[in-house]
Amino acid sequence: MTKQTPNAMPQQPTVEATTPSTGRAKLATADLITIGVFTALYFVMVCVATLASTLFTGGFGSIFLPAIAALISGCVWMLMVARTGKFGGITVMGVVIGLFLFVSGHFMLSFVASIVFPVIADLIARIGHYKNKALLLVSYVVFSYGLTGPILPLWFMKDAYVASLEARGKDAAYIDGVFANINTGTFFLSMGAILVCAVIGGWFGQRMMRKHFIKAGIA
Amino acid sequence: MNSVCGRIRNLDPRTKLVLLILANLMLFFHVAVSTQAVMVVLFLLPLVAAGRWRMALKFAVVYAVLTALGFLDPEFLGMPWLHVVSALAVGANMMLPCFITGAYAFSTTSPSAFICAMRRIHMPEAVVIPCVVVIRFFPTVAQDYRQIRAAMALRGIASGGWGMLRHPAQSLEYILIPLLMNATNVAQDLSVAALTKGLGRAGAHTSRTRIHMTPIDWLTIVVCTVPLALDIAGVI
Repeated sequence: MTKQTPNAMPQQPTVEATTPSTGRAKLATADLITIGVFTALYFVMVCVATLASTLFTGGFGSIFLPAIAALISGCVWMLMVARTGKFGGITVMGVVIGLFLFVSGHFMLSFVASIVFPVIADLIARIGHYKNKALLLVSYVVFSYGLTGPILPLWFMKDAYVASLEARGKDAAYIDGVFANINTGTFFLSMGAILVCAVIGGWFGQRMMRKHFIKAGIA
Repeated sequence: MNSVCGRIRNLDPRTKLVLLILANLMLFFHVAVSTQAVMVVLFLLPLVAAGRWRMALKFAVVYAVLTALGFLDPEFLGMPWLHVVSALAVGANMMLPCFITGAYAFSTTSPSAFICAMRRIHMPEAVVIPCVVVIRFFPTVAQDYRQIRAAMALRGIASGGWGMLRHPAQSLEYILIPLLMNATNVAQDLSVAALTKGLGRAGAHTSRTRIHMTPIDWLTIVVCTVPLALDIAGVI
């Protein structure tokens, strides 16, 4: 019984999911479980990215964390969207990731970023009914910015950081020296890296989809 | 019996959430060093109470070392490069309360208590169900990964320490695609199992795990809020 055709199964057990996935239907429990499974995989990818960016770039390595995560998790995201194909799927994925980041001790701002960007990504993908390749790629790029939350404090909490440095009796000239490499330049470098890596990662994901999943009837 | 014991030594998940928010607020408001030290000690106490004294000790040592580094005067020692280390230490020190409360919340909350708490604070089911699945699915990923690596080694693909790094795109494809294939299957199995157990039903769901706000929880919240409130009000 368990060996049924893969794309017939998730719609069967629920009443709400009987309408074909046109991007208008509500998320059913089966969809939520699918999202959960892919979110877990995405989270594993984020952990791998954290490890990689810490190894390659040392102490301040986390500025490239979202870029590396975007580079490697294109497949996971593309398959999730193909399997769900309804409005809300991308949003829920972002919210759950934000929740796990918050509970594991990341800064609260990360939660805001991981709600706002996935909602925009969801809206973009919805225009193409979760089928249009180019729009999905754009949507993936936007979604990738949702992970900037954990690193945003580097720039936006600068005042608090400077204040606590001054409280410890450091002089202004030296503080300026410290911030020579955490400025707008690195901000745009990091954001640009996300853009490039997300495009490559998304393209790789779509290639993998064509190569493996569409043929197997999974996507 | 077990749950009664656990309730005394472990805080309610909602209290842990409050502690997490307090630790985050410490970042927003520029707290003084003394307040920070008091808060860190307060955050470490629940860890000790939960029996994670080794973890608490590690955090305490890290905090002490980082604080000491933050107060170093490199000019006096004649080693200007220490400025960078010192500034990094101050930055890490600011993040540490968040990490302590995060580690506490993560290591002492059972999945069922976490889920029960999420339902109690009226989190929508659309968020609760994926969270349940994420927690349930992590061990599966680890197991699948080991099996995939074993199968790759058998075929002589990317074996050895540096084998995976030599062809990163290929390694990513060979590891991720089987993981995703399996993930889609597990998603279907889980859907069937969960729907059989009534996860898709509307209305309130019951739970075997009971969570309770005890006087100790309220006391913890009040005691941890006081130093922060005093600091923001400018008393300390």
